[in-house]
Amino acid sequence: MKHISKFTSSTILVLLSFLSMAQEQNTTVKDSIKKDSIVPKKERYGLRVGVDLFKLTRSFYEKDYRGLELVGDYRLTRRHYLAAEIGNEDKTVDDDRVNFTTKGTYIKVGFDYNAYQNWGNMENMIYVGLRYGVSSFSQTLNSYLLYNPYPYFGQATEVTSGEPFNGLSAQWIEVVTGVKTQIFNNFYLGFSFRLNRLLSQKKPDTFDNLYIPGFNRTYNGNFGVGFNYTVSYFIPLYKATVKAKKTAAKKQQK
Amino acid sequence: MKKILLVLLIAFSFSACEKDDICTEETTPRLILEFYDISNPANTKNVVSLKVKGSGAFDDLDLGVFSGESKIKLPLNPTATTTKYSLILNSANTTLANEDFIEFNYTTQTVYVSRACGYKTTYQLNNQDGVVQSNAASPDVPWIQNLTIQTNSITTENETHIKVYF
Repeated sequence: MKHISKFTSSTILVLLSFLSMAQEQNTTVKDSIKKDSIVPKKERYGLRVGVDLFKLTRSFYEKDYRGLELVGDYRLTRRHYLAAEIGNEDKTVDDDRVNFTTKGTYIKVGFDYNAYQNWGNMENMIYVGLRYGVSSFSQTLNSYLLYNPYPYFGQATEVTSGEPFNGLSAQWIEVVTGVKTQIFNNFYLGFSFRLNRLLSQKKPDTFDNLYIPGFNRTYNGNFGVGFNYTVSYFIPLYKATVKAKKTAAKKQQK
Repeated sequence: MKKILLVLLIAFSFSACEKDDICTEETTPRLILEFYDISNPANTKNVVSLKVKGSGAFDDLDLGVFSGESKIKLPLNPTATTTKYSLILNSANTTLANEDFIEFNYTTQTVYVSRACGYKTTYQLNNQDGVVQSNAASPDVPWIQNLTIQTNSITTENETHIKVYF
């Protein structure tokens, strides 16, 4: 709540400043051009690298799951970040009718747009973004049940298979929304929620891709959901002065 | 922050409801037998109190007694490569009752259906001895006069697999 109220109030403030600017402009035309009294704000640019805590902790408490995801973003412009996630998952799914293990690696590349107007030297983010994801994985069908609606000769028993399916792949796009907050010097906590849309996949001949590393399960048609909870470290590379919109306005006048 | 968390919680609770948890697709098919009139082979002929029983059936149950029908569906044994059925025509009448055996010999294939259904079995009747007819050890003549295989591959229940003339 605190963030949201800050966000709205800051946007209102920004809008108000535009109003006063319009008035100022009329006066500055008549007067000689005054020097900016505000000290130019400098913002830090750099690389942020981190790890998904959710996948990491899940690997400890869920015996059928092992996964790791490294996240990173690079600040390109004031509001745009180049973002990527790279991960590896090993998951065994024990369903009613099939039991299988999926192993694979994925990479997601895209950008984030920071919609949050920071106050002072804050470097927080409320962002939306897009990702393009690719996964390369293999599956092993551990066991399955044969569905027989007329078990006149007795119910089918579980069939142990162990059949491997290698060289599978999938591609998808993700719409990301999330937050990143600086908790202490250069350390950030982040949370993101993702909606995935599968674009294409290479399925095995005699099975299906029920779980795709990085994409998550595929039971709901071509749509999927995912999220991560990250802790990351910011490596500052350079500082850049915030370009005020006033300079652009001044240029127009000249 | 709290609002975002709430929205996420709702989203996750909904994602647990899966639409395809119940198997609705067509799975393991049964063998479709259709009865035809031997004197007029283009026409179907209804059976009268035809008692059907598979050998090795679970709990030694009858499949059923069919009357006024020209088409019956026989489950095959998916864990074997041969299934033998006893067909007793006019089973209600002890003097007229006539028992014949038909044996199906086949190979099975395992086909993936969906997450909810898992796998199904499809059958391929052997070319040489796909269906073999024999008479019960009684002095009567076999009531089944001819059998023709319409299709060797039993993958759906939408078509007749074997025609029986009597």
